[in-house]
Amino acid sequence: MTEYFGTTVADIFATMPKRFKPEEAKEVDIAIGYEATGEGGGKWKATIKHGTLKVETVDGDLTGCKTTIHTDAETFVGVTLGKIGALDALSSQKLRVAGDPKFLMLLLPKIFTPYAAPEKKPVSVTARDIITTIAERFRPEKAEGVAMTIGYDLTGEGGGRWTIVIRDGKCAVRGGLADPLTVKMTMEAKTYAGMMLGTIEAVTAFTSGQVKIEGDMAAAGATAKFFRKYVVPGATEAEELISLRVTNAIEQRFATGPVMGHWFAGLREKKFLANRCPKCGRTQIPPREICAWCRVRVHEFVEVGPKGVVTHFDIVYFASPDPLTGAVRDTPYATAYVVFDGSTEREAVTMDLKKEDIPRLKEGARVRPVWAEVTTGSSRDLIGVALDEQEESL
Amino acid sequence: MKKHAKNGNVAIIGIGQTSFSSHKEDQNQVEMVQEAVINALADAGLKIGDIDCIVHGNMELFEMQFAPDLWHSLGTGAYGKDEYRITTGGTTGATLVCAADNLVASGLYGTVLAIGMEKLQEGNTTGGITNMADPLWFRNLQTGALTGTTSDGACAMIFTSEEKVKQGTKNPPVWIRDHIQVHREETIPNLFGFNKPEMTHHCAARTLFARNGIQDPVAYFDVFEMYDPSAWWAVDWLREFFLLKGDEHLRMLEAGDFDLDGRIPINPSGGVIASNPIGATAMLRPAEAALQIRGDAGGHQIKKEVRHALASGFGGTFWTVLMILEKELNWQEVNHD
Amino acid sequence: MTMQEDHKDCFVLEGKMALPNQYFAGRLGSRFLIAIRDRKKIMGLKCNQCGKTFVPPREYCEKCWTKIADNWVELGTEGELVNFTVVRYGDRHLPKKPPYILGQIRLDGADTPLVHIVEGIDPREVESGIRVKAVFAAKTTNTIMDIDHFEPV
Repeated sequence: MTEYFGTTVADIFATMPKRFKPEEAKEVDIAIGYEATGEGGGKWKATIKHGTLKVETVDGDLTGCKTTIHTDAETFVGVTLGKIGALDALSSQKLRVAGDPKFLMLLLPKIFTPYAAPEKKPVSVTARDIITTIAERFRPEKAEGVAMTIGYDLTGEGGGRWTIVIRDGKCAVRGGLADPLTVKMTMEAKTYAGMMLGTIEAVTAFTSGQVKIEGDMAAAGATAKFFRKYVVPGATEAEELISLRVTNAIEQRFATGPVMGHWFAGLREKKFLANRCPKCGRTQIPPREICAWCRVRVHEFVEVGPKGVVTHFDIVYFASPDPLTGAVRDTPYATAYVVFDGSTEREAVTMDLKKEDIPRLKEGARVRPVWAEVTTGSSRDLIGVALDEQEESL
Repeated sequence: MKKHAKNGNVAIIGIGQTSFSSHKEDQNQVEMVQEAVINALADAGLKIGDIDCIVHGNMELFEMQFAPDLWHSLGTGAYGKDEYRITTGGTTGATLVCAADNLVASGLYGTVLAIGMEKLQEGNTTGGITNMADPLWFRNLQTGALTGTTSDGACAMIFTSEEKVKQGTKNPPVWIRDHIQVHREETIPNLFGFNKPEMTHHCAARTLFARNGIQDPVAYFDVFEMYDPSAWWAVDWLREFFLLKGDEHLRMLEAGDFDLDGRIPINPSGGVIASNPIGATAMLRPAEAALQIRGDAGGHQIKKEVRHALASGFGGTFWTVLMILEKELNWQEVNHD
Repeated sequence: MTMQEDHKDCFVLEGKMALPNQYFAGRLGSRFLIAIRDRKKIMGLKCNQCGKTFVPPREYCEKCWTKIADNWVELGTEGELVNFTVVRYGDRHLPKKPPYILGQIRLDGADTPLVHIVEGIDPREVESGIRVKAVFAAKTTNTIMDIDHFEPV
């Protein structure tokens, strides 16, 4: 199977039952289809019903799924591992969701624990190799006033028994277990090596009982900070690639100028004030200082609308994120291109259409404006347009 | 028709690209830029000291790093040289080529290096695009989703004068015969009224072909590298660029005319749907068209000889750049005043 | 014809642009920062062609464009303050409260100066040519601020 970011698509599905949280899925009844294209891809179906989960591979078409996710194998793995942002993948259409993407984005993190990449392949470094370098890695500035003896009983291959003595800003490592010890830690040698190399999480190892602690628990937890991280000899240091995440936020102020200002003043009075080119006679919404076709100044304002006709429309099923909040916009939504009554026919304007009207939207439909409860003379005064019921019923 | 003649002829003599990927964590922006520049210099057989002027382009809002031309100077080699910066949305890369063409043609500079780059993984492209919409009018209404793929990568090209070409070049020169840039009134909705204005693609093609005496573009050109952000746009735009009527473009498509072994192959490189590092994207079109003319396109070299190539750029609200590349310097007699 | 401007309807719309982004230090930049963070060492890259040693790291020698990406050399954590300015205005994006000294420090073994903050000396008394040493940060952030500041030796 082809690996992406060190993981295959099949790995992710194979671990799904282990990561499933039945108690969170008691109310859930959904079948989700997955189609990952490209090398290492395939089709899977996850059926979640009242706290149970069934994962199966699918050979033919994905049927009976309320929601399906389509993506390439690399993006699927990348999004699962958090290497690729889900919203970025959605907005670049590398990831497509048939159904309600917002619902899925909320549901999946709730009912599954995140996928963790499998442990890296064991390296040839042994616990002995690591523990014998401990004196070189000692950080006296972090161990001021500390006096303790720590015993390690590391079992299995590459293991042994060692005592680390920290006293007077100095550190020494000796073979065998001294008596008395401040704390004694017993574990498999490979667990110790894994923790030191970062392939096993220390917290997990401690809490899952892989490490047996006798004596001062707090001292055991504190030891890590006395030492610099172990670096495998000859290994490339920069396996870790640093990235800085920031959000640049800039306050902005935009001046409307007199022409656009007049348009917004019109909205406050619930009027559409277009302006008319003295040369070609076209009406401009939004009004502009000049007519770009004739390159002449435009002075005359004319009221158009308030009703109009839809020339064209888009229904958007694809969830795009809000750049300010990252929140996903409700789908579907419709953008209608409206020519207001009294406008010249070329001058369509984009308007949000009321969501409930989407099923009945068609080219040539008559629409009316939907105003905000309070109009103040801003771009928020006009909520959008709705199908004009009065004319519909005629 | 207004006279449109160059002061001097300009050739593409070096082309360098990076790989294109959705993620490049192991390379910073400067290093990525430098990779393309070094590849272009190697392709041209030049050293950075041979470059008289640098033209840099990307969309800084997409990475949110301001004045990138300044802090990329280690990678571009611009320190101690004249440098210009271009930011024209999707057309950035094509505008870079136009600017370099003009800078050399004017006689101001002998050899110019243009570099287009983008590292979209680092930024928030959709957010950047939405913030380009008029804040008074469109920003609340539109969620300007990027309609294409997003990639990291850079492309660099080197341009020189006819005089320098005569002194010898490492690879065959590719001549920029002519280019045109067409902008549209900045209010998108007008396009969707009952009475549609001429598309910028059509306007660019009509004007450019007329002033170069090209009657039948499909017959004249051997390849077209088109900026096609999405496959569904590409089909529609072919009609405009080739000045076709009705559904002629669809019938050509069905007849295989746009296939790699067809009458006029479209995007042997894979086009923008294959990779889209925005500041480099529109430069990759003439770069790839020039490689086709040189016969250096490798695995995607088309079989027939390429003598005349067309390349386009697209950006923002239907800005169009269109340019004609030639293998031989033999068209002057057909230029019409 | 001049425009008959009527300003009574003009107003100002408040707006905000907030775009999350990330910056990749790249392989070389990461090695440089990790050496500071984990080993308290400042590394440079040396061009054998020109004999120049650069810091912060760059992939190619900026003089002769030779690839130097693998030619790491350890620099001193001390150096000479070759130039400086005193930052006297405060702003929320600045790393320290003004007045503070922003210096160019040529570390022992380097040919290029590293820009950093100099503390432990009154801005009125600082002068070029003094010897300074790096003071590493107790809390690291994967940035150049993992060197907290430089101070006189």
